[in-house]
Amino acid sequence: MTIQGEPLVRFDWIGNNLGLIGERLWEHIFLTVLAVGLGLAISFGLSLAIRWNGRLYLPITSIAGVLYTIPSLALFALLVPFTGLSILTAEIGLVSYTLLILTRNIVGGLEGVPADAREAAIGMGYTARQLLLRVELPLALPVIIAGVRVATVTTIGLVTVTALIGQGGLGQFILQGIQRFFYTPLVVGAVLSIALAIAADALLVGLQRAVAPWTAVKR
Amino acid sequence: MTRSDELLGRAKGGATVEFRQVSKHYARSANGQPIAAVRDLSLVVQPGEICVLVGPSGCGKTTSLKMVNRLIEPTSGQILIDGVDVMTVDPVALRRRIGYVIQQVGLFPHRTIAENIATVPELVGWPKAKIRARVDELIALVGLDPASYRDRYPSQLSGGERQRIGVARAMAIEPPLMLMDEPFGAVDPIVRERLQNEFLDLQRRLGLTVLFVTHDIDEAIKLGTRVAVFEQGGTIAQYSPPAELLMRPATDYVARFVGSDRALKRLAVMRLADLRLSPVSSAGEGPVFSAETNVRDALAALLLAPRAAGTVVDSSGVPIGVVTMETIASAVQPVAASLE
Repeated sequence: MTIQGEPLVRFDWIGNNLGLIGERLWEHIFLTVLAVGLGLAISFGLSLAIRWNGRLYLPITSIAGVLYTIPSLALFALLVPFTGLSILTAEIGLVSYTLLILTRNIVGGLEGVPADAREAAIGMGYTARQLLLRVELPLALPVIIAGVRVATVTTIGLVTVTALIGQGGLGQFILQGIQRFFYTPLVVGAVLSIALAIAADALLVGLQRAVAPWTAVKR
Repeated sequence: MTRSDELLGRAKGGATVEFRQVSKHYARSANGQPIAAVRDLSLVVQPGEICVLVGPSGCGKTTSLKMVNRLIEPTSGQILIDGVDVMTVDPVALRRRIGYVIQQVGLFPHRTIAENIATVPELVGWPKAKIRARVDELIALVGLDPASYRDRYPSQLSGGERQRIGVARAMAIEPPLMLMDEPFGAVDPIVRERLQNEFLDLQRRLGLTVLFVTHDIDEAIKLGTRVAVFEQGGTIAQYSPPAELLMRPATDYVARFVGSDRALKRLAVMRLADLRLSPVSSAGEGPVFSAETNVRDALAALLLAPRAAGTVVDSSGVPIGVVTMETIASAVQPVAASLE
């Protein structure tokens, strides 16, 4: 596959395009944070609905599960006639893929709150809202953040695919490399995307520890 | 001043609790017939008393307890605290004024011991400095060292220590009423006995009214000012002081429930000072007991003593009488009962 005489990475290209690389990296981060943020907000709403009525769990997770199985290329292709080659198309797809993981982890995290802590909280006079905000959510946070980690890493990978609909952040380098048989941007896009995923994951692990100091104490 | 401030708000010492013909039915799905968890329960708990609800599992004792702070609502009847029907009070405000301790303790794993204890004071808006002082006071009150415990998490405590913190948390705003559902059920017997003794001591000093659920008749007899023995179907078979329960069980069910060793149990709730002791003889007799010793322990010692007699002394060590096997026997036989 390699083209004769063409090195895998041409550092002069990197040097000449540092500004563009930084721009695409920020775009990649922006698309990811927006998708995970929106996904978290929607999943939180869905989880509250499930808590209010447990029978909603199956339909909601089934729909989210079906969304999750649609090949990303096909999903973006399906959306383009409606929403065009826009950031909206990209985000609809990206957000859809986070819903299953995030909803399952939020519901699971809330269900994992010890029943005795919940009973004591109600017995001492917490309102339903205080119970959720002061007891259930803090206790569910490690599980919720675990879901955010998976969703974030998945989304960072998926953002590259949205290059096909004119978005894509670092994915645009990858696409450019494939189209032009020019490896340097392809390698830059792939390596930075992987590095971003690893960095985001490490950051979230740190956050997970920071918000749950009680899980780190020695017994 | 709202209704809930009136209720329990200004009470000094314990509250009065009254159940008036309280029933709780759950609809049975199979044939639609309601099944009673609690049936026509009436009883009064006076200020400063420990009322123990005891019975086999599924007899409605926990349901009865939870109706007091409205975790469960009665189908019919009334529960009055200091004369106020709990159903007329906002449940959240009601619960903040009633201490609540459950078997699994329910400490919040994500909060330190100090933060756990501060739960209700924070809910009712105490100033921070007052909360901080109260937290340390409570940790010390339940026999732990504030400096080394306040910043720990519940997972760093033993089962017995967690139970103590659970009690401390429930007492944070000095509620005039405490509801305790098998609070010492999850710890080993030695720790349980120590926790019971400390709790009794604390309760007497503070004059708390306590409703206490257990399935352990020995615990009921030890802690109860009065004991309500529940039977299946959610009715009370007998509601009496422990001594009377042991001496005059109202039904065969109660007799079986308190056990064939009820005479021994009765001795355990009597002090030597309660007996009609023989006069002190010139020759100091056998082992020496404090007047506060419980009669069961004294009997155990007498069984091993050479002459089956012992001297009872008061708190300053002055002999006040002699205890013998006969003295003890006459105390548990029905003839002597009329002296009570």
